[in-house]
Amino acid sequence: MDNTLISAEKLSVGYGRKIIAEGIEFEVKQGEILTLIGPNGAGKSTVLKTLAGYLKKLSGDIVIDSENIEKISEKEMAKKLSVVLTERIRPELMSCREIVETGRYPYTGSFGLLSEADREIVEKAIETVSMEDFAEKDFGAVSDGQRQRVMLARAICQEPDILILDEPTSYLDIHHKIQFLEILRNLAKEKLIAVIMSMHELDFAEKISDYVLCIKSGKISLSGTPDKIFTSENIMELYDISEKLYHKYFG
Amino acid sequence: MIKKRTAVMFIILTAVMILTLFMNLFTGSTDISFSDFMAALSGKENSASDILLKIRVPRALAALLLGGALALSGYLLQTFFHNPIAGPFVLGVSSGAKLVVAVTMIFSAGIFGSLSSAAMIVSAFVGSMISLGFVLLVSQKVKQMSMLVVCGVMTGYICSAVTDFLVTFADDTNIVNLHDWSMGTFSGTSMENIKLIFLFVLVSFIGSFLLSKPISAYMLGESYAKNMGVNIKLLRAALIVLSGLLSAAVTAFAGPVSFVGIAVPHIIRGLFRTSKPLVMIPACFMGGSIFCMLCDMIARTVFAPTELSISTVTAIFGAPVVIIIMLNRKRGEMNG
Repeated sequence: MDNTLISAEKLSVGYGRKIIAEGIEFEVKQGEILTLIGPNGAGKSTVLKTLAGYLKKLSGDIVIDSENIEKISEKEMAKKLSVVLTERIRPELMSCREIVETGRYPYTGSFGLLSEADREIVEKAIETVSMEDFAEKDFGAVSDGQRQRVMLARAICQEPDILILDEPTSYLDIHHKIQFLEILRNLAKEKLIAVIMSMHELDFAEKISDYVLCIKSGKISLSGTPDKIFTSENIMELYDISEKLYHKYFG
Repeated sequence: MIKKRTAVMFIILTAVMILTLFMNLFTGSTDISFSDFMAALSGKENSASDILLKIRVPRALAALLLGGALALSGYLLQTFFHNPIAGPFVLGVSSGAKLVVAVTMIFSAGIFGSLSSAAMIVSAFVGSMISLGFVLLVSQKVKQMSMLVVCGVMTGYICSAVTDFLVTFADDTNIVNLHDWSMGTFSGTSMENIKLIFLFVLVSFIGSFLLSKPISAYMLGESYAKNMGVNIKLLRAALIVLSGLLSAAVTAFAGPVSFVGIAVPHIIRGLFRTSKPLVMIPACFMGGSIFCMLCDMIARTVFAPTELSISTVTAIFGAPVVIIIMLNRKRGEMNG
């Protein structure tokens, strides 16, 4: 049985006519984590935005659950794919729990009231990211690490097959980075969610990913399993770091 | 499951609303005894009937319906711009509506005589949409919220200046009322008007209430809302049209009324400690009703027989609230 949840073929992405990245190809199966690494401005975010449906693809194909992305309605898409974005939200007077509850949006009736079943799913999501301690606090009053877990719990509530995260660990300290990635890992394995994310922390990317795409100047410069990608030569090449400097800081 | 606080606040609001309505009917330049008052309200003909039913009841109902409409319009605009100090008055929407109504009044006076209520609403709506369109254009250029408000206020001044100019030089007897109206007042509303206002406000209110769910998603920002399956373009258009309709109804019948649109949603949010649209939409409406009825009572009784314009009173109570919001936001930004 083919259990590929999302795949891209000869995909070009960009704004209007301007191509930011092209020749993007990959497939992600149930429970797998695909990580996009590469320098700032290489086009990672643009690829993720296109996969999540924020931008129209310029050419090529994106197939989600064996259906072309263009044939999927906004409502169906909301049940298949959820996101954790870099943009910071500033809702007023909303508790962390209320933010998580908004994840049930695609499933609730016309007034958005939660059923008993919805509440259970919210409760489970809160447990999954272990945010019981601060669930009732105002979203504006919790730390960055906690906020990121809230946003993840919100995404889980959408019961997606695919989860897309744009640099989810960038603002977190090392404790929270590890905690966040551990939650993500378990989520992928237990719920068989396909995860696609971008990351700057190479050490963590190596440990968590099943598959890695290196994006440089709008092209896939390299792709493969972490053990093949993370060699000093590849990293020096990808990020344009001289051998001397590489060994000074990583060696 | 409704939170206890929400239920209690709704009960209090309802009680205060009924109380203010009765106070509004009971107070005025002519003293009416309580027994006459009750008798007249229950339909018996007496000396108080005319004053009560022809003057006070329509006026109080106008304040109730239009006050609610203003607060709701403000709430919708704040949602749209993700900005707590947006409102029909500060964004220049009321003044734009006022200008178009004044122009229509003056030009039609010579041809058709006085303007029908429906024509007033239509021209107010056209004016609202023109100034909202202008604000939207500006908002695409400037991302800063305070700059948007400054542009709105300036647009408001320009529209008001042109309106004043027109009013000063228009000498037709048909537009004698124009001067009073352009200052803002709930007086002179007939029962016929009230029916029209009621219909208009009811439709817009139901429309807004039905948007509660997408508005709640929109509060997390457009990207997340889109990911949840919200049709952003449709929602934004609906928000603009509904807030335009509501403020058009107010401007057409009461002239421009300041600060209610900002102050009331802010106070209501504080009282209910929530920003859930399902709660905010009805609560803002009720809050606006109470606020305007109280302000109107002050406007007509404090210096009686001289009446203050309604905006004078709403500004005294509403403007400080805006200052408080701005100060709080500054502090919030510094805290990250």
